[in-house]
Amino acid sequence: MKNMKYIVLMTLLSLVGCSTLEEEPIGILSPEGFFKSPQDVQTVINGTYGNMAKEAFWGRKLSLPLMLRSDMASIGDRGTPARRIEHDIFSVTDDNGMITAFWPTSYQIIAGANEAIAGAESLNLTDQAINPIIAQAYFVRAYTYFHLVQLFGDIPYLDAPVTNIAEATLISKTPQSEVYINIISDLEFAKQWLPNTQPTRALPSKATAAAYLASVHLTLADFPKAYTEAKFVIDNEGLFDLDLVEDFQDLFDATKQNSQKESLFSIDFNGFSDGDTGRDYQGALTGIRQNQRTDGRLDIGEGWSVAVPTINVYNAWDGRDYRKRVSLDTIGVFGGVVQPFSFFPTASPLNVASAYIAKYSRFPGTVSLGNARGTETNYAQMRYAEVLLIAAEALNEVTPGSAEANSYVNRVRARARNRAGVLTNFPEDITLGINQTDFRNLVLEERKWELAFEFKRWYDIKRRQLGPEVFGPNGLENQTNFDPSRDYLLPLPFDELLRNPNLLPNNPGY
Amino acid sequence: MLKNKTKKWLKAFFIGAFILIGTAGYSQQKTIKGSVISSSDGIGVPGVNVVEKGTTNGTTTDFDGNYTISAANNATLVFSSIGFITQEQSVSGKSTLKVTLVEDVSALDEIVVVGYGSQKKSDITGSVSSVSSKDINAFPVLDAEQALQGRAAGVVVQSNNGGEPGAPISVKIRGNTSIGASSGALVVVDGFVGATYPQPADIESIEILKDASATAIYGSRGANGVILITTKKGRAGKTTIELNSSYSSQSTSNQLDLLNAEQFATYQRGINPGYVQGPAETDWQDLIFETGNIANHQLSFSGGTEDINFYVSGNYFDQKGVVVNSGFERFSFLTNVDAQVTDKLKLGFNAFGSRSNKDGVSTQAGSGGRGGGDVISIAYRFAPDLGVLNENGENTFNSVGDDVDNPFAIATERIDETAIDNYRANFYLDYELIENLTFKTTFGFSALNSTRGTFLPSTLRATAGGVGGIAGVANSKTSNILSENYLTYKKEIGKGNLTLLAGYSYQKTKSDFFTAGAQGFISNSVSFYGLAGGSVPLIPTSSLTETEIQSQFGRLNYDYDDKYLITFTARRDGSSNFAKNEKYAFFPSGAIGWKVSNEEFLKDNKTLSNLKFRASYGVTGNQAIQPYQSLASFESLYAVVGDQTVNAIVPNQLSNPDLKWESSFQTNIGLDLGLFDNRVSLTLDYYNIDTKDVILGDTSVPEYVGFLNQTTLKNIGEINNKGFEITLTTKNISTNNFSWTTDFNWSRNRNQVVKLVNGDDIFLDSSPGHFLQDETHILREGQPVGVFYGYDFRGVNQNGTLPSGTAAFTNNLGDEIFSDLDGSGTITGVDREIIGDPNPDWTAGLNNTFRYKDFDLGIFFQGSIGGDILNYTAIELASGGSNATTEVLNAWTPNNTNTNVPSAAVRAKRVTSRFVYDGSFIRLRNLAMGYTLPQNLTENLGLDNIRLSLSGQNLLTITDYPGVDPEVSYQASGNQASNVNQGFDYGNYPNIKSVTFSVNLKF
Repeated sequence: MKNMKYIVLMTLLSLVGCSTLEEEPIGILSPEGFFKSPQDVQTVINGTYGNMAKEAFWGRKLSLPLMLRSDMASIGDRGTPARRIEHDIFSVTDDNGMITAFWPTSYQIIAGANEAIAGAESLNLTDQAINPIIAQAYFVRAYTYFHLVQLFGDIPYLDAPVTNIAEATLISKTPQSEVYINIISDLEFAKQWLPNTQPTRALPSKATAAAYLASVHLTLADFPKAYTEAKFVIDNEGLFDLDLVEDFQDLFDATKQNSQKESLFSIDFNGFSDGDTGRDYQGALTGIRQNQRTDGRLDIGEGWSVAVPTINVYNAWDGRDYRKRVSLDTIGVFGGVVQPFSFFPTASPLNVASAYIAKYSRFPGTVSLGNARGTETNYAQMRYAEVLLIAAEALNEVTPGSAEANSYVNRVRARARNRAGVLTNFPEDITLGINQTDFRNLVLEERKWELAFEFKRWYDIKRRQLGPEVFGPNGLENQTNFDPSRDYLLPLPFDELLRNPNLLPNNPGY
Repeated sequence: MLKNKTKKWLKAFFIGAFILIGTAGYSQQKTIKGSVISSSDGIGVPGVNVVEKGTTNGTTTDFDGNYTISAANNATLVFSSIGFITQEQSVSGKSTLKVTLVEDVSALDEIVVVGYGSQKKSDITGSVSSVSSKDINAFPVLDAEQALQGRAAGVVVQSNNGGEPGAPISVKIRGNTSIGASSGALVVVDGFVGATYPQPADIESIEILKDASATAIYGSRGANGVILITTKKGRAGKTTIELNSSYSSQSTSNQLDLLNAEQFATYQRGINPGYVQGPAETDWQDLIFETGNIANHQLSFSGGTEDINFYVSGNYFDQKGVVVNSGFERFSFLTNVDAQVTDKLKLGFNAFGSRSNKDGVSTQAGSGGRGGGDVISIAYRFAPDLGVLNENGENTFNSVGDDVDNPFAIATERIDETAIDNYRANFYLDYELIENLTFKTTFGFSALNSTRGTFLPSTLRATAGGVGGIAGVANSKTSNILSENYLTYKKEIGKGNLTLLAGYSYQKTKSDFFTAGAQGFISNSVSFYGLAGGSVPLIPTSSLTETEIQSQFGRLNYDYDDKYLITFTARRDGSSNFAKNEKYAFFPSGAIGWKVSNEEFLKDNKTLSNLKFRASYGVTGNQAIQPYQSLASFESLYAVVGDQTVNAIVPNQLSNPDLKWESSFQTNIGLDLGLFDNRVSLTLDYYNIDTKDVILGDTSVPEYVGFLNQTTLKNIGEINNKGFEITLTTKNISTNNFSWTTDFNWSRNRNQVVKLVNGDDIFLDSSPGHFLQDETHILREGQPVGVFYGYDFRGVNQNGTLPSGTAAFTNNLGDEIFSDLDGSGTITGVDREIIGDPNPDWTAGLNNTFRYKDFDLGIFFQGSIGGDILNYTAIELASGGSNATTEVLNAWTPNNTNTNVPSAAVRAKRVTSRFVYDGSFIRLRNLAMGYTLPQNLTENLGLDNIRLSLSGQNLLTITDYPGVDPEVSYQASGNQASNVNQGFDYGNYPNIKSVTFSVNLKF
């Protein structure tokens, strides 16, 4: 019996541990019971803004193709990955690596918006209490689908969180006309409920929703409605706290953007990033190889010479236009010596002898990585100048030859004459007497220079079907491979069609 | 003093021994004294039975191998001990008799440790390899796993980073059995599952369990094989003090032959006529490589009484690496105490602790773009016409390619320090409940805490110049609690022996992790201990994971008549990592053995001393799943609104209630053969492992569903490994003065991906980020894991007319041309194919040990034949935007057309067969000479034993590989990477050659 104590002791020791093996994660967010207050809804909506600022969306994967597909930017370094070159020369295949990257991210943005809307409904709050918040989610959903429908045409359309994977795997494409109806309906909701102003331009306001309605109607060639929405914004510019920035250069100085009143909605970067989340690449992609920079900033250094305008852009742009000077870099510093762009290829064989895009590399503010990656730049998705030009373009289609339409264009031009405080006489005001066709072209040209490299030009080319002209022998970029029956739409990713054959066929020509 | 003490101990021991022997002494006796030493090392062998033949008169040797016996004048003494060949010596009137015992190479009666018990080696039915303490300590190594390299068939040991001090080392048994989960072997130290390796000098033995029969007792963690380590214990007798000291001098095994400043400038002008030669002449490899050294000291005390024994050791290891500013230092201790409390109760305690400090340099950079890169890869690519400092006294950065800081500046100014504390305590009680039935319970705890600090000063201009320096701290803590309890029943039943084992185990692991950082420091003297001094805080991260496993296990061993053996094993594991519907898993195995040589018809065969057949089949598992992977979740995300960071989350994944472990179904057929008194012993094993339910990301869910984690983990894949292993030991010569032993092992593993999701290839990328490549290797059904994927290089464009079936990306003379697989006339993505296989055809180790009197010599070769290497360094050095190897001196020009080296130009860094090389090598892993001082000399010094040795490691390498070293591993850390990323060479810390002097003292 004296050994009894040992037996007792061992029995006790062996009883350590008896578990149900249930996992109870700490620090990991479970969707069940997540939504408890409107703040939780905002947190999910914030996730959609975070997703927009990813490399796989606005950081590079979507923004770069939009730039390269236009006639305003071509490829500098020919050794850059083929997935980029394919967009420039219109040889995109259905496994293009830019598309396969921004496609899922776009839908993650949409899923976040859907999750926020559904979560808000589960709170059972009054419309007044919750709608101003979820109106952001409606805007985000519309904004994202607007990109997708312009790029792909008919697309899978989801407006609620997916709970049944098997069902979701079988859906068919929604025709683009129906997608547009849904986009407009979301924007109408957003316009109804969003506040007149927001604490920051990184959040959409009532004016943002109206301006996007104008843009959507313009794209659909519903000019009266486009005009009405744009006019609504312009008429209430004080209420919405909107104005043009005085000096065009300041629009592209990342350190000055926060106090400006011109942007209606920006994708916000602050010079920090978590890996590729919150990191933009435009400054690096458009910068000059081996450039030591006129400001000598070592933390930025050279660029990658990927997206570079052809020399035609430099030649076609009136040298008196201040916006040309702001938008293009014509000099670089190499070995401590300032050199003209004809020297760029000598400095590095990866450069081309052309003026380089300056909007994203000249004043990027804080950068989190060299080459001007992860900058402080806020990318305005809709500037007040564009709203003015939408109003002018739409009004010209409804009532040609109006002084009102002229005034919108002239307001944009007047700002451009402010050369860093010195008033010049170019570009001069337009006067009455321009016929409807010339005015239409004039506004499109004005958009080309005013919004140069701001990811708008490709959508203009598509909606006005300008491809054969701008990519022809007399265009800024002669792209012989451009095929209007194919290239106004991108292919849906091939693997997505494998996963859901109901999405077949792919767009024509792919 | 010590000698007197020793004598006292001896006296006590002898008295004890005589009492034990009991009624030994008879008439006409003569007292014979002597010693018994081992032929392999000349050291005394304790515990040898010395018996007068034909009588019951006998004694045993003491701790130093000495004995005294009274025997008849004409008697014959029989000396026997486990592990040695029994020897007979006639007394013939002599009064001293010194005997050298020769080790029994097959050591059939050796007791080896198996999971939850031990067994006679001859009774084992599974596939188990043993590595002795002697082999582990043949030359000084930082980690025991390094010492396993080449020592056992089917075991592949590889450093994750060449010769880096403190680099993690992977040990794989019988190939890659998974894709997403670790294929690394489970390590069990003194019964503690999932422990870290102890100091090499503290290890008594290592058993490597390879087949399912041996590993199924470890259930869901057994699929990759198990390494059982037993540390040294004290023995009853005199206290032994042992001191081992060694000192090594080290250098890089090889360097690349690069262009000098003038050659470089000429080469660059061929690409860019405007290139102006820089002001300096620098051999960057010379600057960053230096002579390294290792000092290693180990002091141990061991001893005990009949009831209590102890082993205590302390170790100090200090290594200065061969790359400037890299090093590793470690203190550690081990204590083992065992006590026989009563006849029936035994208890023991085992404690281990270590503190290590690693001073790292940056190697194996994930990207070498602006401000990136690592010391090694940059040393190869950096312009040789620049100095360390420019004319303003600032660190230079590269004049061609991406802006990177010079390697000397990165090596000397970048701070990267890791401190690791590792503790383990394990306690056991062993109680005999009734006759034949014992109960054992163990309770253990371990902790592994590490802190890593990095600081990039602003003087590294490309890396951290613009932001005023960057500092970061990462802290991780892992703790582990283990409770195991089992009953063992042993019973002789007629001619049979039955052993039954049944037990219960519970283990809980908890890991937490956090990081913090800041940038914008006023001064570079702040480092990472002053994060608050940074004007800009970086985003902190933290995480916590917990895992529990509870298990029941059992085993039946039965042997009949010492001829027929049978083993059944089973374990049922429940794991918290498994999904809701699959919490528990069952892993059975069975094995049979037949000792043919014990059958009547062979029993007296003189030639054949041992013949045994073995066969086993069983299922083992791989936990494969990280915690929480089966749960639905939201994921937080970095988001900015109005320049402020805000709380933000995104939908991450749906729940996955059916996710479970991966299962390996393993068949093993083996043969053990001994000839001529086991002077020749041969073991052959054939195995086939089908790993099913391999977890793969199922990408069949459309991406428009919108979850961040786009792949759903599913048990879909299948992998097969089959192979053959040979272990041969021959005692070629064995005399008292001279012996020669050869150990040879050879293994061949064939690895194949059998099933993937929908049969689709999985494309993988391991290239440095700035290469801008997406796909470098693939998983494809029917192919080995991780074959290289790229363009087939066919030479250069000689005259504008390309050979049929080839095409090029660009059509300049001197450009690279490739196989045009689709015949389109241009090279596109579809022209890629499998261009190399990193898996070796076979690997082998060959160790010859010679002894002549007091001298010994060991020659240990290791080889790996048939594995390919994809050399990213070569791709970079041929890309135009970097320095280059002297190969480019033979580049194509209109005047030098008889060459396959393309013209000098800036080219994309593509994966092509031009950069795939045969990585076969044979390496003289160790060459060691030892001398044991003669006994009389040693005794005069008051010592028991003195041994001096001089050895060289990696002195000779035979290989055709043109890179720095054929033992490569780039991007091979982490579960999936360690399986699929094999044979990549970039920025590796170089392998080292060393010369070592060591002293072993025992007293």
